[in-house]
Amino acid sequence: MEFLGLVNYALFMAIFIAIYALLALGLNIQWGFAGLFNAGIAGFFAVGAYTSAILTTEAVDGRIGGFDLHFVIGWIGAMIAAALVAWPIGKICLRFRSDYLAIASIGIAEIIRLVIKSEPALTNGARGIPGIPRPMSDIGYMESQVAYLIIVLAVLIAAYVLVERQFNAPWGRMMRAIRDNEDAAKAMGKDVEFRRLEAFIFGAALMGLGGALFAHFNRSITPEAIDPMVATFLVWIMLILGGSGNNRGAILGAAVVWIIWSVSEIATDRLPHEYAIQAKYIRLFLIGLMLQLVLRFRPEGLLPEPLRGDQRSAKGGADH
Amino acid sequence: MKTKLLTLAAGLMTATALATVPAKADVKIGLIGGVSGPIAAMAPAMIDAAQLAVQQVNEQGGIGDGEKLVGVVGDSACNPQGGTDAATKAVNIEGVAGIVGPHCSGAVLAAAGSVTIPAGVTLVTPSGTSPEITNLEDNDSVFRTVPSDDYQGRALARTLKDMGYGKVAVAYLNNDYGTGLANAFKTEYVDALGGEITQFAAHEEGKASYRSNLAELAKGGADTLVIFDYGDGTGLTILRQALENGFFEKFVGGDGMKSDAVINELGAENLANFVSSSPVGEKSDSLDIFNEAFKGVGGDPDAIFANTSYDAAFLLALALEKTGGRKEGVGAALREVSNGEGEAIRPGEWQKAKELIAAGTAIDYKGAAGDHNFDAKGDVPGTFALFEVGADGFEVVSEMN
Repeated sequence: MEFLGLVNYALFMAIFIAIYALLALGLNIQWGFAGLFNAGIAGFFAVGAYTSAILTTEAVDGRIGGFDLHFVIGWIGAMIAAALVAWPIGKICLRFRSDYLAIASIGIAEIIRLVIKSEPALTNGARGIPGIPRPMSDIGYMESQVAYLIIVLAVLIAAYVLVERQFNAPWGRMMRAIRDNEDAAKAMGKDVEFRRLEAFIFGAALMGLGGALFAHFNRSITPEAIDPMVATFLVWIMLILGGSGNNRGAILGAAVVWIIWSVSEIATDRLPHEYAIQAKYIRLFLIGLMLQLVLRFRPEGLLPEPLRGDQRSAKGGADH
Repeated sequence: MKTKLLTLAAGLMTATALATVPAKADVKIGLIGGVSGPIAAMAPAMIDAAQLAVQQVNEQGGIGDGEKLVGVVGDSACNPQGGTDAATKAVNIEGVAGIVGPHCSGAVLAAAGSVTIPAGVTLVTPSGTSPEITNLEDNDSVFRTVPSDDYQGRALARTLKDMGYGKVAVAYLNNDYGTGLANAFKTEYVDALGGEITQFAAHEEGKASYRSNLAELAKGGADTLVIFDYGDGTGLTILRQALENGFFEKFVGGDGMKSDAVINELGAENLANFVSSSPVGEKSDSLDIFNEAFKGVGGDPDAIFANTSYDAAFLLALALEKTGGRKEGVGAALREVSNGEGEAIRPGEWQKAKELIAAGTAIDYKGAAGDHNFDAKGDVPGTFALFEVGADGFEVVSEMN
């Protein structure tokens, strides 16, 4: 029982890590490749989650959707919807640079959240959408977790392979060139605005897919899930800690942060009984402390961006 | 740096490994709540109230053969991510036999859907009020000790109509609590009773001023403002600004507004025209018993959802006594200990309950927040009373039905 419990917990963590890794991969395309400071991850996460929920749930009075489609269609729909939402946003906002884009995107994510909370006909408002089907859920507790983990891992590996391919392809080199020196890239005849928009949309589609996977795992989606703390900033911490510009870093960062986030509660629970409630706040402190330490001692992350033909990456980061 | 991180990780792991030495034959229940996040101010009192039930059980003989009941606190952060994480840990690492919580409806839906229903663990939420929880396919494993917003909204509408209220404006907090209450109120007041709602508007929490919202709400000429919000938060701001600016004459609140913060901040003399509804136990002294006990351990009995949290934990303990501490059959046992038939058990009467269960006598828990006779969906209908502000705090005006 004890051992099976640990296995179940590990499975659960692996599923969450894989979902967050998808979000981090999406952010890596935007920030790591193209240098776009998107602080509105929660918005695209929400669009994906709700699109898939609307497509795959059964019909309910007073709300659109309930098409009862297969979950694969829901997930593809989630990617398309997130990309479609990203397009006009990118078209308008990508003219901003760095911090201004961050402010604009954080505002847009808030707008999306408030629309979702306030439109019962579309999203069931603040109550959220329950009853989302989870693939392979009719078998036992552990079996269904294993089945879902396999599905999520397959999606994650496919996404990783595709993104990694792009990273090493001419497209990836071009994106990094645009990121590092926009004027030079422009002088080489690259259509900078279009390329940045491309990266923004690809990244958003992956975030939408992450949202859909999350909604189906929980069998429900509510506006509480698109809290910027857990859907935007946690992903940023994962990418920065893992190493922006490195896809494996993004996945590793997701794993490290989530494991510390989750396991630290077990550790803080060992404090004396009277501090049971206070102990919970220590976790938040731990995450903040970790980010501070990483930014201070290893700003390039655990796995830095691979720089070809350059020895700098081997030296480590203590010498800035 | 790598080594430092590794050390940190290793340290955490060791702390975990060292500490998981379960005392023999403890019965654990999870107390999962939004300790961090938006309801961080409310959660500690709720968890303390549940811990009070655990403490009473242990003082009066424990579960079964003197086994200790242990409440394991988990943080659901009031969101689905935290809710599923805390529930997974409670079920798998701690091996709990039942869960009190999570506190927020979104966390309840997610934790039930992905953890407790598949794992066959019973969950009793003291504050998840969303009507969506009613319709979960839960194999009889999701219960709550707080009435669905649907019931209270409807009951309040009927009471106001009976008391001769005319045109009203409704302001509600834009979350599942406010929306649920407001929509149920509207359905009953307008569609079923033919009343008139002049303005019906949601507001976001935490703003400094709601004067523009209030000016908008006052436009339809209603003299009564119905507020579905929390009296120690945004609801207080709205009520204060409405009073200061004279937008409305009369004010009505839901249970969230029945908070001592309102009286302390605004003064009883200014609240002569303020009434609020709240769930109450059916003409029993259960609530007084709980209030005394909770004061005894340093708690604030008026804290929102403290009594429902206590009831949830006590009911779960009674059910576990019936199943002998096993998680199987807790759902059915919950119905047996609180179905309106049998010897009445009031808060804190664990020893009596234990003896009666051992003797095979039917018992019926009369809780601090109501009688908790669960319906087929695991909901409680709830009895409500309307409160006004008197010299000594809130006083009952009338029973609602």
